Amino acid sequence: MSLTKKNAYLKAAQKGCLDMLPLSLSVIPWGILCGSLAIARGFTELEAFLMVLLVFAGSVQLVVIELMSSGTPLTTVLFSAFIISSRHFLYGLVLRDKIKNLPCKYRIGIGFLLTDELFALSAHNKALNGKRRLVYALSAGASFYVCWITWNVIGIIAGNYMPDLTSLGLDFAIAVTFISLVIPSITNLPMLVTALTAGFLSVTFKLLHFQLDLVFASVLAMTAGFFTSELLKRSKALKVRGEIKALEETQ
Amino acid sequence: MNIITIILLACITFSSRYLFLEPMLPLKIGPKIKSLLSFSAPAVLTAIWFPIVFIRDNSLTSSLTDPYLAAAAVAVIASYKTRSIYFTLGISLCVFALLQVFKSALMF
Repeated sequence: MSLTKKNAYLKAAQKGCLDMLPLSLSVIPWGILCGSLAIARGFTELEAFLMVLLVFAGSVQLVVIELMSSGTPLTTVLFSAFIISSRHFLYGLVLRDKIKNLPCKYRIGIGFLLTDELFALSAHNKALNGKRRLVYALSAGASFYVCWITWNVIGIIAGNYMPDLTSLGLDFAIAVTFISLVIPSITNLPMLVTALTAGFLSVTFKLLHFQLDLVFASVLAMTAGFFTSELLKRSKALKVRGEIKALEETQ
Repeated sequence: MNIITIILLACITFSSRYLFLEPMLPLKIGPKIKSLLSFSAPAVLTAIWFPIVFIRDNSLTSSLTDPYLAAAAVAVIASYKTRSIYFTLGISLCVFALLQVFKSALMF
């Protein structure tokens, strides 16, 4: 590999870590909570560590720790994890055409690291095209993984002595990072319709304690955005047709 | 026993992320579905942050001076105007912290 190429990849890797940094920092309270909750609920240090190392999913970790410690049947635990994880199917579907023909190591790597946060950085059109952008995504995802493990380990070590940081309202940091990722992407009416529908439905479904709240709100919002863009296209086409007709009549 | 459960959980989270990246899976994404999927990012991300901002203790936030609501409004405006993650984070977290302190000061 030439030196300039190597340099370009190194730069891409650095940018990946840097772009992920606000997201990695905003999950500090959740990471610490995951680690300390596992200890508080009677998991051994090894189990708590394996949980973050292998499962690597904040909301799944929090829910299954509570379920497992209260003696819930295995099938219920696994089913709950499946429901919470189901939004990731959507991420895989979105990235499928870009990833499926890549060598195994990239597929497995991106697949393992594909959190909400990595998806947030990889959902735009150009993402993951070419090796430089792959290096960018992999290092962004890997840096998030390392940070998440670190926050969890702090929680595991602190155990019961750690106050619940989320009760201080530190979960607000997650909301803000997502706000600052979404707002710049809303550049047209269909995107605005999508975001507003998703927001309204996710709040409604959550208040109704609907289990698949996130997935259903997202899919319905995507459908709303899609139909808005189709309607806009159609009305534009009609307008053009009308103008052509008017031109023909004047001639 | 817990360790086996953890390994099974890992299989679930990994397969949910990896499944559609697998080339052996016989699935072709048509242009309509592709266009539908292009709306996934604003949909999912908004569906994640709205409940954090608008739901407090299992019910809708009722007060307009709620720190979450007010600081989120600041974040939306800041992000719209500057498009910078860091500026948005900085200013809205400051507003949020000030309102939290103000709120707890009022309580005492």
